Amino acid sequence: MELETTVGSIKLRNPLILSSGILGTSYSTLQRIYEAGMGAVVTKSIGPRARKGNPNPSIFALQEIKSVINSVGLANPGYKVFREDIEKLIEKKIPTIVSIFGENEREFVEVLEGLKDLQILAFELNLSCPNIEKGGMQIGTDPESVSTIVRKIKSTTITPVWVKLTPNVNNIIDVADAAVKGGCDALVAINTLKAMVIDIETQLPILGNKRGGLSGAAIKPIGVRYVYDLYENFGEKVPIVGVGGISRGEDIIEYLLAGAKAVQIGTALGVAYPENMIRFFQMRVKKYMKEHSIEKISELIGGAHK
Amino acid sequence: MTKQTLPNTKPIMGRIIQKWEECEDTFGFLIDVPVKVKGAKPGQFIMLWVPGVDEYPIGIAGFENNVLEIGVSKMGEGTEAMINKNEGDLVGIRGFYGKPFQPPSKVNHLIIGGGFGMTPLKLLTTTLMQREEKEKIHIFEGARSKNRLMYLDWFQTLHDHKKLNFHVCTDDGSYGYKGFPTVALEDFLQKSETPSVIYVAGPERMMKVIFDIGKKYEKVIDMQMSFADRYMRCGFGLCSYCAVDPTGWRICVDGPIFNVKQIEQIEDFGNYRRIETGEKQRI
Repeated sequence: MELETTVGSIKLRNPLILSSGILGTSYSTLQRIYEAGMGAVVTKSIGPRARKGNPNPSIFALQEIKSVINSVGLANPGYKVFREDIEKLIEKKIPTIVSIFGENEREFVEVLEGLKDLQILAFELNLSCPNIEKGGMQIGTDPESVSTIVRKIKSTTITPVWVKLTPNVNNIIDVADAAVKGGCDALVAINTLKAMVIDIETQLPILGNKRGGLSGAAIKPIGVRYVYDLYENFGEKVPIVGVGGISRGEDIIEYLLAGAKAVQIGTALGVAYPENMIRFFQMRVKKYMKEHSIEKISELIGGAHK
Repeated sequence: MTKQTLPNTKPIMGRIIQKWEECEDTFGFLIDVPVKVKGAKPGQFIMLWVPGVDEYPIGIAGFENNVLEIGVSKMGEGTEAMINKNEGDLVGIRGFYGKPFQPPSKVNHLIIGGGFGMTPLKLLTTTLMQREEKEKIHIFEGARSKNRLMYLDWFQTLHDHKKLNFHVCTDDGSYGYKGFPTVALEDFLQKSETPSVIYVAGPERMMKVIFDIGKKYEKVIDMQMSFADRYMRCGFGLCSYCAVDPTGWRICVDGPIFNVKQIEQIEDFGNYRRIETGEKQRI
């Protein structure tokens, strides 16, 4: 059975990638998750300088919908400090995708310039964080800004550039089209959905930032729909990485059938034993392949488009 | 009562049913948890939400009949807001999170703490006293002066009733032994013959000193220390803002209690802690 997949020019030992913002604060957690059997890891989104993010509560679970709401607000130590962690990952030969963000084109380029000499697998542009005032989703909902930034970044580096899309738009194809025109090497869909939780006893929003983004099982059908739409529109022209709410091996199959070349998994790994979870995902994927006489996992990609 | 179970929910709102001044700048709270929950194990913690202000990890001092006991010391805006809460007010609780202390049998239990590190140690003491094996329990508590000793009356009464041995220390000598509890601990270890396990919760610098002392004595068969006094966001292993290097362990789920074999692998121990940005800062 062959689990290997490719995203553009990038070969992965399997299609499971750790998504950004989960377990990505240190080289050591990323290493741990990779060694448990992922195909690659994506770091926490890194910006031009240290950022405290939003006050707590900034992450909590919504048990009734097997999901998590967060408003971390891109807390990160800045690329100058985080560079050391990336260097350690590369030294250990861990396929590392670095998620980067900025409030504007200049900041994106600054972060990229500061890291582009490293043997990074790909840069993932976070044009979709719903939890900050400037940058993030604000850029990612405007096709013109997206294509300008992607084009600029593509002219700055030879490392592949992935664009992570927000689902919080009227038409994701417009933004995706802009990213493709800018020259991106892959589309990553989706980031979290705008969300909010109010405590009815105190009658206050619970998150420190009041508003946040939803991840986890509840958003999986939305992610699958977006990946399906993107694949229908772009076909083999641009690889798609599916992300959103994967909590079982079957969900991975679903994303591949919708058209994803690889998937990212995050929220489901926020457990006491993420290693077991990863093993379980792989077991279920292999079981499905065996039951359906599938030799290569790539045979599944786009299979639902009949 | 609803059927909802902790952990991994949004904050469950509990009402403060009792509040008292435990010692200077530190208040004890009893909070009624309106959800059926399994007992808290010593060393576990909750994420305490002070509505509209902040949320942070707090050790559990007791949990009985769905009433939670915690202790909060004035450390900043979030803890001050909690201290300003009164009986009848609502606060949010997530948890119980983390791996607990795991006391073995047939040893001396040496429990050492300072500051509001004493909270999880109170529950540990209660649990040990309830066990069938009646092993010796020694408490080493330290503070700057008498008015900053947590649970002083509680421990003193148990000492007077010969339930445990209370080695109380103050920097200024205003109560008990004059000096650090680490010195009292080492004195004890020099005289003792029995295999011992050391349990610590308190400032990490103090934990490091105790760790180095414990390593010198073969009779110390394990040391279990609480790392809960670190910055956390999620509390359930998702965000990794509490992760330690080079092991990649998350304090919130892989800890907060680590044993001696684990602590030896944590290079950050006593050296670095993470701040809100995820960046490491010297301790």
